[in-house]
Amino acid sequence: MQDAILAMLAKEPSHGYDLGLRLRRALGPLGGSMNAGQVYVTLARLEKAGLVVHERSAGSPDRPDRKVYALTDAGHERVTAWLAEVNRPKPDLVEFHLKLAAASASRLADPVELVDAQRRELLRRLAEAQRAVLAEPEGSTGGLLLEGIALRLQADLRWLEACERVWSRRADA
Amino acid sequence: MNVLQVRDLTKRHGRKHNLVRAVDGVDLDVPAGQMLAVTGPSGCGKSTLLNLMAGLERPTGGQVWLAGERIDTAGERALARLRRRSVGFVFQSFHLVEELTAAENVELPVLLAGGSPRAAKRRAGQLLDQVGLADRARQLPWKLSGGERQRVAVARALANEPLVVLADEPTGNLDTAATNEVLRLFADLRAMGQTVVMVTHDARVAATADRLVSMRDGVFVEDTWLGGGSGWLDGLFAMGD
Amino acid sequence: MGRLLLVSRLVLGDLRRHPGPAVLLVLSTFVATAVLSLGMSLPGATERLYLQTRAATAGPDVVALAPGMGGATDAVLTSLENAPGVVARSRPYRQFFATLTTGGGEARAIVLGADAKPGPIDRPLVTSGRWVRPGGVVVERGFAGAVGVDVGDRVAVAGRTFPVVGIAVTAARTVYPWAMMGGPGNGPSDGAGLVWMTEPDTRPLAASGLPVTSLVYLRMADPADTTRYMAFYHDTPNSAGGRVGDSAARVNSFTWQSMAHQDDVYLRDGQPILIIGGWLLSFMAVAGLSTLAAGRAAAQARRAGLLKVVGATPGLIAVVLLAEYLTLALLADAAGLALARLAAPTIINPSGSLLTADAGPHGGAVVMTTVVAVGVAILTAAAPALRAVRANVDRRPDHLVLLSRMAGWLPVPLLLGLRLVARRPGRALLHAGGTATTAIGLTVLLMVHAQPRDGWDLGGVTLADLADDQSRRLLAGVTAAMAVLAVVNTLTMTWTTATESRATMAVARTLGATPGQVTAGLAAAQLLPTLPGAFLGIPLGLSLHWFFGPADQPPTPLLWSVPPVLLLATGLLSVVPARLAARRSVAEALAA
Ligand SMILES: Nc1ncnc2c1ncn2[C@@H]1O[C@H](COP(=O)(O)OP(=O)(O)OP(=O)(O)O)[C@@H](O)[C@H]1O
Ligand SMILES: [Mg+2]
Repeated sequence: MQDAILAMLAKEPSHGYDLGLRLRRALGPLGGSMNAGQVYVTLARLEKAGLVVHERSAGSPDRPDRKVYALTDAGHERVTAWLAEVNRPKPDLVEFHLKLAAASASRLADPVELVDAQRRELLRRLAEAQRAVLAEPEGSTGGLLLEGIALRLQADLRWLEACERVWSRRADA
Repeated sequence: MNVLQVRDLTKRHGRKHNLVRAVDGVDLDVPAGQMLAVTGPSGCGKSTLLNLMAGLERPTGGQVWLAGERIDTAGERALARLRRRSVGFVFQSFHLVEELTAAENVELPVLLAGGSPRAAKRRAGQLLDQVGLADRARQLPWKLSGGERQRVAVARALANEPLVVLADEPTGNLDTAATNEVLRLFADLRAMGQTVVMVTHDARVAATADRLVSMRDGVFVEDTWLGGGSGWLDGLFAMGD
Repeated sequence: MGRLLLVSRLVLGDLRRHPGPAVLLVLSTFVATAVLSLGMSLPGATERLYLQTRAATAGPDVVALAPGMGGATDAVLTSLENAPGVVARSRPYRQFFATLTTGGGEARAIVLGADAKPGPIDRPLVTSGRWVRPGGVVVERGFAGAVGVDVGDRVAVAGRTFPVVGIAVTAARTVYPWAMMGGPGNGPSDGAGLVWMTEPDTRPLAASGLPVTSLVYLRMADPADTTRYMAFYHDTPNSAGGRVGDSAARVNSFTWQSMAHQDDVYLRDGQPILIIGGWLLSFMAVAGLSTLAAGRAAAQARRAGLLKVVGATPGLIAVVLLAEYLTLALLADAAGLALARLAAPTIINPSGSLLTADAGPHGGAVVMTTVVAVGVAILTAAAPALRAVRANVDRRPDHLVLLSRMAGWLPVPLLLGLRLVARRPGRALLHAGGTATTAIGLTVLLMVHAQPRDGWDLGGVTLADLADDQSRRLLAGVTAAMAVLAVVNTLTMTWTTATESRATMAVARTLGATPGQVTAGLAAAQLLPTLPGAFLGIPLGLSLHWFFGPADQPPTPLLWSVPPVLLLATGLLSVVPARLAARRSVAEALAA
């Protein structure tokens, strides 16, 4: 969540309210369950960590006195690192999804490349798991666990294929 | 040494509005002993690439060398000889000769290559034993299960000790158990140093290869080296503690 | 109603997708039923035509002829009105033994002095032009056709030139060239045609001393009962004090029944040709169609499987298959009968001397050919229908072990060919049978053509022997039909084998078989059953020929050409699809 909000700010400084809207849009139907307060709490935490700063904008007539948040240099660094990072045990679906959305919005990274990098990593793992599966004699209990790992990796890879299809079409459009 | 070498290979179907670039300027080197997987979405040109590399189809442009011999310009007889001696094929739909028993199917390439019936018989027995089907040798294909049929097909592909085995979706018609049977066979081939190029869209199958190229709309978009474990699995168990 | 729609939709869909087999089915059945129905409509055909002509021309029940002219002869003839059963007679007419000269030459002719207005008995039917008038003659239609004269031509009768004013037919004469009905002095007959002219025009003939015979036409109380008359007239006293029939002034009587049978001479040879030919053709049709059906069995079984999946009952599947073949067979049968009807007049009335309005296949022949056509359809559809209905397991016959074992030691093309044959022994038998049938037809044809031919001597000109001509023509027709079916069958068989082995051959090519090897394999698969079939057909054809034709005729050396020709044709026909298939890229062939 923190990283996602940081990445959203990378595009341009925003109000907390706009950030909430953008997050919700990226999450689609699942975004409905996110409450608005969460964004402000997170922003406050990030500010404390020195990753964002805020300034008051000249209040517009209808909604006066609003804070506009922007990234600090440290915040920028953190976003770049997050986007480049793939080496997690397995992608957290929501996080990865938000990462792709943020990457696309901020233009700090190409979502398709992010997917590819993630896939390469998963493939390497799958290769390892699959070889281990095949090395086990048929019907061994040890093989069963490996089979489970391989199947999960396979499922993740399938999802990544779907991600790639959609994001590369976005890029073309 | 490269068993297969492909340069700027192109295959187009149709013209104008119906123009399909099935393969669109592909370069590829397959060194001896490598197991290469080609993946990609349906219709991206995988089968076409494989067929071009075996001379089953003629390219629109580019060159293919098989064991140092140019095959895109070779005549039908030369191609037949190459297929007989240097290439073994495994297809998604098995393509066993329905009229022949399992053993006779495996004998066929040996006989075609001019081997004596005795030699053919010996070789078939040996290969069927290797794929674990010694007891089904006299069955006609339609009496065998899908996995068994594909193992016969692999045995047949190996009959003349080919330089390269080309496999097009070898597990496409099989369930998980039968897929593993066939993949074990491929793992054995890899261990024996057999050069293999296989086309698949199943990540688990592709993951058994040393190297993975991804195709998209007739071009290669990625070339990944899968060989050598990263120790990730061990790490996983360590974390589990 | 919905079911009917479903069945017709399925049938039409299949026909649209596979028009080739449907065309072959219709063609084979059509040829076979046409020939068979012709053959079957021959018995009694001429008699029917004669009766028809007799009704149209008020034909006499008996024609009595006595040599010479004048009182004594007339007295004998007129006295016949007292014979038992006779209720009426015509006046005595005279016929002169003369010649007819046309541009083509001189032929024997009987010149009959006719009434300008025919009497109640024998009123010849003018088929073109008009009846005799002073100075104009009418020529009998059969004769006119043979010597090639038409209305408006000028002919010389006994040296005097007349215009031909009409062409006519009559039931009072046996058909051309038997118009003489007894030679001069009631001696033996020669071939001759009939010419009518007015009584006054015949006077110069009488004056010139040409041989003459007088005749009367008799009408019986019961036309069916002419035997009493025939028994009687031999006992009639004649003017010379002897007996009518064996006296000096002999009377020679022809009943209408004997005249009706005379025409049969033409058809005596033709009938077996047509009937045997019809059966041979039917057999060939069945052979070809079974191959066709067997070739499509796999596709039909798959289709039946699909229908089953969506809930069709086995009965419905059988109905769909049968409906398709039955419709086509009945269509072909109707077309065959129509052709027979068109061809019948020339075949059963080769002389043209009879009316043919009512020629063509009748009840029995129609029923019989329809039964044959339906039988062919059922035979063709039964096997796949049964297989489709019974189970969806695709059972293949276990191979002939010996053949397969042998194949292991042969060159690769032969190996592939032998294996293909060994897997489908039934198909190979059919192929051999079809080839044998073709060889039989060719053998009979060659033997008949090797016979010496005689023509008919009509005095100055020798006209073709119509009966012999007729059987040759029929034989040629049957042979042409056989040739068509043989080509169709060979095409079917090569096509079936080619499609069935396409997958096998494509796989063989991925394993490194050359296009040449694949082509040779396919050709071998076809030629192997052709060989015994071609050789078996010759002795069978010879025995057939000796049974129906001259038994002492030695086999002509030309027969040796039958097997090579058949092998060559099969080889060529099978190489073409194989070569075409080999030209396609292997990937394409595999995907097909
Ligand atoms: N004979 C042909 N005529 C026209 N187009 C063709 C022909 N053969 C292949 N194509 C087209 O070429 C493209 C590549 O086909 P190919 O069979 O190589 O795909 P693939 O990657 O093997 O797909 P799949 O994974 O579904 O087997 C497809 O778009 C296909 O429609
Ligand atoms: Mg494919």
